[in-house]
Amino acid sequence: MRRSRINFFLIAFIVVSFLSPAPAQKLNNNAAKTAPAASPVKLTLPLKEGSLRFAVMGDTGSGTQKQRDVGEMMVKYRAAFPFEFVLMMGDNLYGGETPRDFETKFSEPYKKLLDDNVKFYATLGNHDLPLQVNYTNFNMNGKEYYRFKKGNVAFYSLNSNYMDKKQVDWFVSELAKDTSEWKVCFFHHPPYSSAKKHGSDNQLREVVEPIFVKYGVDVVLTGHDHVYERIKPQKGIYYFVSGAGGQLRSGDVKASSPLTEKAYDRDMHFMLFEVAGDQMYFQTISRTGETIDSGMIVRRKK
Amino acid sequence: MRTTKQKSHNTGLRVGGLFLIGLGFAVVLVVGQKTDNPALAPPPVVTPAEKAAVQSFENEVKEYVKLRNRVREQAPKLSKDATPEQIHAYQKTLEESTRAARKNARRGDVFKPEVADYIRRTLKTEFQGKDRKDIRDIVFETELQGVVLRVNYPYAQSAELSEMPATLLTKLPQLPKEVRYRFVGRNMLLVDRESNVIIDYMPEALP
Repeated sequence: MRRSRINFFLIAFIVVSFLSPAPAQKLNNNAAKTAPAASPVKLTLPLKEGSLRFAVMGDTGSGTQKQRDVGEMMVKYRAAFPFEFVLMMGDNLYGGETPRDFETKFSEPYKKLLDDNVKFYATLGNHDLPLQVNYTNFNMNGKEYYRFKKGNVAFYSLNSNYMDKKQVDWFVSELAKDTSEWKVCFFHHPPYSSAKKHGSDNQLREVVEPIFVKYGVDVVLTGHDHVYERIKPQKGIYYFVSGAGGQLRSGDVKASSPLTEKAYDRDMHFMLFEVAGDQMYFQTISRTGETIDSGMIVRRKK
Repeated sequence: MRTTKQKSHNTGLRVGGLFLIGLGFAVVLVVGQKTDNPALAPPPVVTPAEKAAVQSFENEVKEYVKLRNRVREQAPKLSKDATPEQIHAYQKTLEESTRAARKNARRGDVFKPEVADYIRRTLKTEFQGKDRKDIRDIVFETELQGVVLRVNYPYAQSAELSEMPATLLTKLPQLPKEVRYRFVGRNMLLVDRESNVIIDYMPEALP
């Protein structure tokens, strides 16, 4: 009697186990409603002791679920790669800038990062109003163009919407006295891009490239085109287009562009950077966690 | 025989002369540094009449800046660490107070015909030639459907802003930091940087 009762419970357990999904499967099914199946975190960065770590994202402010997915993936990667701050490539808020827009298009998608005191440094895109420079979480300190330094790297945020003489003069005078080992510039419009929609901003390039070359700028980060592109080094300078943090223009990169070293236009993405001495490592990660590009830049002798 | 006084006078002259020569070199270097990029070359020489038109335009802009700064002083201060609510409230206050302070403003008050002609000629020159195709591409790629232009009212917040081509900005009359040029299609706008209010605009500015 007792044995048959045990057998009954054993059989019942086995049947229930086969019919019910495992807890992990349930979790994945729930997640599938809001986000696509994600690849596990696979870091290519070396995580060297004392290195400077930061993330890059551009054209984010759409307020869509996909923007949130990118934000979630950044949180996952931050667990493995604790980056200190994030550079924003502009178009921080699309289609309106009410207090609610600031929430849905910025502070909600990146809530976990903000809660962990990750700082965001913004630049203005063509969809951004200038008063964003006063927004506390964009850390622009009331300025449309500004410089800050972390470790051995100087960062310059420029306003490519309005590159007037005042800004150019400021940029030149700051660079002329800058003794930082690395000089990284970030702004919205790409001097080089293989995207069909906007492409290279030759007008801007005509003005800024001679300055980059003369004063030894190492890396230039931009957005505007809603794709990822790593440009072949131009006059010794590394250019990246990272404009798909919240918007995507699928299939926009010209297939046979001579500028392209690596491009990706199938999903949204963000980037991670690690600077250790004369080496700068980067990894580009899609919304679903797939590594779409990675590599290392060695600082030029100046 | 030279006296000690004379010697020291001569030495002083020499030092002074060397200082002036050095200063001269420094000025040349600084000027050279700021103008060695051909893309940033200043606009071509203008006629006395054009110079007067530009001067008058710059005075009008200065008057506007004085007025908006008076208005701004009365608005609550905006911190560099503001919340979205504070930014929104500040922008609204600035917009409404500016409108009230220049309630009689009309199109053409700042872009008077003389300067408008000068700017149109400058733009025409800059838009000519194959190498200037880029400027046209930048200006006309912006999606501006439904943007209404009205003096004293803000440029639509939800609308895209066209990038001002960098090389073009150096050729136009220079503006104080409170004011910006903008293109909306072929129209050229003068916009307040903070309130986004359209101060004035020139229809069909672009060729």
